[in-house]
Amino acid sequence: MSAGAALRESAVPQRTTLAPGQTPDADVVEPIVRVDQLTIRYGDFEAIKRVCLDIPPRRVTAIIGPSGCGKSSLLRAMNRMNDFVPGVRVEGAVIFNGQNVYAAECDPVELRRRVGMVFQRPNPFPKSIFRNVAWAAQMNGYRGDINELVEQSLRRAALWDEVKDKLSLSALALSGGQQQRLCIARAIALQPEVLLMDEPCSALDPIATARIEDLIDQLKSQYTVVLVTHNMQQAARVSDRTAFMYMGELVEVDQTNLIFTRPGNPRTQDYITGRFG
Amino acid sequence: MTAHFVNLLDDLRRRSLRMASEVEDMVQEACEVVFQLNETLAQRVIARDVEVDAEEVAVESEVIRLMALYQPVGVDLRLLCTVLKANNDFERIADCAVNIAERASHLEVQSLASECDALRRMAPIVRRILRHAIQSYSADDMQVARRVLEEDEPIDAYYGQIVREIVANATRSSENMGGQLDLLSVAKNLERIADHATNIAEEVIFVSTGQIVRHRGASRPR
Repeated sequence: MSAGAALRESAVPQRTTLAPGQTPDADVVEPIVRVDQLTIRYGDFEAIKRVCLDIPPRRVTAIIGPSGCGKSSLLRAMNRMNDFVPGVRVEGAVIFNGQNVYAAECDPVELRRRVGMVFQRPNPFPKSIFRNVAWAAQMNGYRGDINELVEQSLRRAALWDEVKDKLSLSALALSGGQQQRLCIARAIALQPEVLLMDEPCSALDPIATARIEDLIDQLKSQYTVVLVTHNMQQAARVSDRTAFMYMGELVEVDQTNLIFTRPGNPRTQDYITGRFG
Repeated sequence: MTAHFVNLLDDLRRRSLRMASEVEDMVQEACEVVFQLNETLAQRVIARDVEVDAEEVAVESEVIRLMALYQPVGVDLRLLCTVLKANNDFERIADCAVNIAERASHLEVQSLASECDALRRMAPIVRRILRHAIQSYSADDMQVARRVLEEDEPIDAYYGQIVREIVANATRSSENMGGQLDLLSVAKNLERIADHATNIAEEVIFVSTGQIVRHRGASRPR
């Protein structure tokens, strides 16, 4: 598949034969997020240039590329976190479940509930473990059994067994890896449809990283995950699809196993083999 | 680190090519012995196999080391897989050369081989196929690799012809059965060498395109 064809995902014919280990193409399922001709400028700087990308539901999509290539800007555009950046201008559309998130009628607060985010550094609130998970849900008007929600969220974040006997302790007393899983539990408690993860393991040691990677693998049965990472081995390990960005452009997107064995674009090849620049 | 890794890949490739050159020489000498008895040359072929075996282990160890330490992807991963597989093919070709040299050390083989038109035609084609396979491996030359796949086709026909002749001879007379069986073994080993050369050519295509073309053109869908 040529790079051009890989970019025009909707134009790619459906494949009828899947090799062992292959996951179905994004092309054959309706995307939950569709980035359409997205351009983002910070002042005069064009960080994202007419990017088109489909995010299939209940898959892990990794975005890789060198520093400054625009991958975090693209990620943050999916739940309008870029709104807080002074001087930002956005053209094009991000369609989430059929609605342009940049349309005037879109409520960014509700959007961020449905499209949650986990950041590079764990950022628990200076509150108890329980309150970290319960607080945002209650603020968003959750009316159900809050104890059940906290337990369920912590279980899904693979943290329950480690904290069930100390829920009233400060979240700041947890290890970095536990804090990051707590942040994931906090995001899950809002019952989002999409989880955006911006280098969620870059501040963690290898053991904690492995726990988060296992968790991502479990989460994709219920959530759509979009992961920005500098760690190409991590992208290869945990994602179903990988998008490679360079200088604000989406160079190539394809199934992860193809990107890391026989990428279609020479720039992708150079990047993943470390021959860039 | 990347430049260092590229240098290590280049070193590995050179080492694999030296082994390929050694193996090609062994096949050439083994073929000479088939048509002209030369005990010294036959013993030299047999002795060189020890070096090839050692080199096979060394190359394989280096491939495993590079995979473990550098976790290559893309074309680097394909190259290492190819070196590993070609390494195995080269070692097997060397074994075939040894088998030929051992059989050809028997006195009857040269006279029977000289009378066998199919074998006289087959041997130089096998050597040419091997040379082209190594050439394509050395230069990542897909065109030469594809030519190897085409060149392999008459080999099976020649081998079949040799088998039929030997069966016919054995039916007529049981005299010199030992020599006939040696000749059959020589032909079989030549045919195997061509098969291994074809494998190497297929691996060259894999390095360049990522397509697995084994089993007669069947390639996996992207």
